[in-house]
Amino acid sequence: MTNETILHLDVNGQTQTLTVEPRVTLLDALRDHLELTGTKKGCDQGQCGACTVHVDGERVLSCLTLAAQVEGRKITTIEGLSDAGGDLHPVQEAFLEHDAFQCGYCTPGQIMSAVACIREGHAGSDDEIREYMSGNLCRCGAYPHIVEAVREAAKVMS
Amino acid sequence: MTIIDTKMKHGDASDGILGGRLSRIDGPAKITGTADYAMEHFPEGMAHAVIIDSTIASGRILAIDSAAAEAYPGVLLVLTPDNALPIKTATDWTGAPPPAVPYEPLARDITFSGQHIAAVIAGTFEQATAAAALVKVTYEETTPISSFDDPRSGEGYLIDMMTKEWGDAEAALATAPVRIEQEYRTPREYNVPIEPHGLIAHWEGDKLTLWEPSQWIDGMSRTYAEWFGIPFENVRMLSPYIGGGFGSKALPTRYGAVAAIAAKMLDRPVKLAITRPQTFTAFGGRPATRQTIALGATREGKLLSIRHRGANETSMDDVAVEPLGSVISIMYATPNFSSRQNIVPVNTVKPGALRAPGENPSAFGIECAIDELAYEVGIDPLDIRLLNYAEEDPSANKPWSTRRLREAYAAGAEAFGWAKRNPRVRSMREGKQLIGYGVAAGTYPVRRTPGEAMVRILSNGTIEVASSGIDMGQGTYTILAQTAAEAIGVPVETVVVKLGDSSLPRAPVAGGSQLANLMTGAVHKAAHAARDELIGLAINDPNSPFRDLQANTLTIEAGQILSPRDAGSSVSIAEVMRRTGRERIEALRNTLPEEHQNDKDHFRNFTTISTMKSPTEGDYSLHSWCVHFVEVRVDVDFGTVRVSRMVSALDSGRLYNPKLAESQWKGGIIMGIGQALLEEGIVDPRHGRVMNNNLGDYLIPTNADIPDLQVISVGIPDTHASVLGGKAVGELAIVGVAPAIANAVYHATGVRVRELPVTLEKLI
Repeated sequence: MTNETILHLDVNGQTQTLTVEPRVTLLDALRDHLELTGTKKGCDQGQCGACTVHVDGERVLSCLTLAAQVEGRKITTIEGLSDAGGDLHPVQEAFLEHDAFQCGYCTPGQIMSAVACIREGHAGSDDEIREYMSGNLCRCGAYPHIVEAVREAAKVMS
Repeated sequence: MTIIDTKMKHGDASDGILGGRLSRIDGPAKITGTADYAMEHFPEGMAHAVIIDSTIASGRILAIDSAAAEAYPGVLLVLTPDNALPIKTATDWTGAPPPAVPYEPLARDITFSGQHIAAVIAGTFEQATAAAALVKVTYEETTPISSFDDPRSGEGYLIDMMTKEWGDAEAALATAPVRIEQEYRTPREYNVPIEPHGLIAHWEGDKLTLWEPSQWIDGMSRTYAEWFGIPFENVRMLSPYIGGGFGSKALPTRYGAVAAIAAKMLDRPVKLAITRPQTFTAFGGRPATRQTIALGATREGKLLSIRHRGANETSMDDVAVEPLGSVISIMYATPNFSSRQNIVPVNTVKPGALRAPGENPSAFGIECAIDELAYEVGIDPLDIRLLNYAEEDPSANKPWSTRRLREAYAAGAEAFGWAKRNPRVRSMREGKQLIGYGVAAGTYPVRRTPGEAMVRILSNGTIEVASSGIDMGQGTYTILAQTAAEAIGVPVETVVVKLGDSSLPRAPVAGGSQLANLMTGAVHKAAHAARDELIGLAINDPNSPFRDLQANTLTIEAGQILSPRDAGSSVSIAEVMRRTGRERIEALRNTLPEEHQNDKDHFRNFTTISTMKSPTEGDYSLHSWCVHFVEVRVDVDFGTVRVSRMVSALDSGRLYNPKLAESQWKGGIIMGIGQALLEEGIVDPRHGRVMNNNLGDYLIPTNADIPDLQVISVGIPDTHASVLGGKAVGELAIVGVAPAIANAVYHATGVRVRELPVTLEKLI
């Protein structure tokens, strides 16, 4: 199986052309082919959430998504979250302020999930934040600070 | 080279100094996705390796048919025990000289399921993965001993050095008015860092570059050098960021050797990423443990005797000891004590270190047992702990350096509202939820190894701190910037910290919760040396504005050099450097004793653990302490347990950065909640496999499992423990969490669960 296909992906507002086998996941396309390594591989099985990106504004697990599936759709990764001027997104600011990470490896996925969680209207209470952020595992145990950060960022974003 | 600078906004003016709540300075890189972890490098021509593991737990390989895999498009090499480049056995981490036999990272004889037996290297990850599935292995299988519950495993063998005894525990037990005896068990538990293990190996001639997450750059580099018979200096290991380790990224691994062999054989860089399921067998987690604890006491609950017999699983061919006597031997005063420990070989990967190895299961045993004794004699679980409080180390017979455990009990109980607890079991309830309060203490020793650091003052006034020590989230970057800023007298924003690179000054293992204390000590020493040289330059250089002053009269504040004779006049560090024509001031310092200031001892100090001091070496016994107060809610119909509230009071001595220390404490507590309620490697007794080797089946806590956690620091600076007064932080807080939860579950339900995790089928 070496048939390669040419894909045009809209990543962080830029069209990226890559030649890959059809079985390449969106996660590996981002990390290994586009060298956008902010999106992390934690399990490659859809269980940890480290690979969370936005496709048309909704959070998806890029390890369970083939790159070929998302042609023509808007993909946003952690590298594209800040505005063009380079200012941090309110969720990023809040993660820093509340120390909502330690090793930092699950963090891009947590942040992408948090942005979507707030946008979905699922940041109404601490319990709701906990529930809707539970698809993103953190082994360092930053959960209470993630809840604080999402709560505070939601206030800024509203 | 990764450089972390500190140009970021932060809160109040106290942030910069040691003890301030500065946000972590590696934070901006982590939240924007620019932090470069090991697997995120792209050397020219990089190939991809996929490891193939044994599917049996015991036996031997008869044949490996790799023809189909070799014919697969893109495949460069199928590595087997038969064609792998031979390498040598290396010195182990204790410094024991290696046997003169080859080291074979791919096995022919199988001793556990998941053992590496072959590897496929191909042009792309997808090709290597697909081709690996085509490799056919024929085995001769024998029946494995899957766990220490298999009767054929026997009792194992005694580890003499773990025996601790004083008084006559047997005789005292026989005559004690109150006697209880129970067995406590913990299952196999796994580190589960979210960044899976792996590496990129790249040879250029006889020089090897490794991008590999590492808790111990210098120790691992030594092993690679010895495997391939090249000088230590020829190995460059880079690990500026580590996606979690928890003990599992400190030692070299077999797949590391495989990747380096493949890269050498193919003469191109090789990336080898362990899959998530392989993280359960490519290295070991905490072994399964069992402890039988007998307590003898007066009718008032005063301990008369403790007898402790422990055992942990080890692998068939190696020795792994989880020191089960570590906490039970020091937590309470008892006139009679006996602890012995066996290890039991079974068909498993060699167990490894997982957050507080030894202390964690040891505390589960004694902290549950003392709770049982409290109920037996009818006194409060907190009171029995105070009644048996150890005023000095009962095992080493030395005074504690500091032991703020009494203060922790008081502060924690007050914040938690322990006094509101109804002492009767099953007495507190809201609707269908049984409510229970539980308490347990924990401790972790202060380990000490000399450190080393370079501090540079650059011509523009920037301060540079460099070490091969690492930051896997503990906050090393940040506290070292704070240490240097305070020692020299500059704003923390002017400090740049470089870590995680074997080309930098040496550091011992980031394990045993020792790194923060030893590195702040080394940086403090180097920074003061650099500062002294700067002051000397300012006084002595003919071009210095301060040339006519006497020594010791200049001060440095906020990056400005001040003369007390001329109030108000100040010159910046950069200006002094410019006027004196100096490009840099450089101070490389280590904290080795004078008699060990030679190359051989220096190398040994940083590449083995042989110089790590025990917590009782010297006049004092050095430990951190903590206590956890837990409220659980147990569904009366379904037996589901939730931790609804938790207060922990901890004594880690002086905190170099409370914001980051609190994060580490909470992280340990959360891992402890997982251990108490969720985590268990389930072994198939027929095939010796860990069946739940993924994150959907081996459950770690999610956000929804964790309530608000309150942590209270009760520590005071302890300069017996470390130069700047800190004690152990990272591994402390997990210790005691699981017994506190099990004790709370007993209070809620009246059911005593002595085998972790506390799952619903044990309650209904």
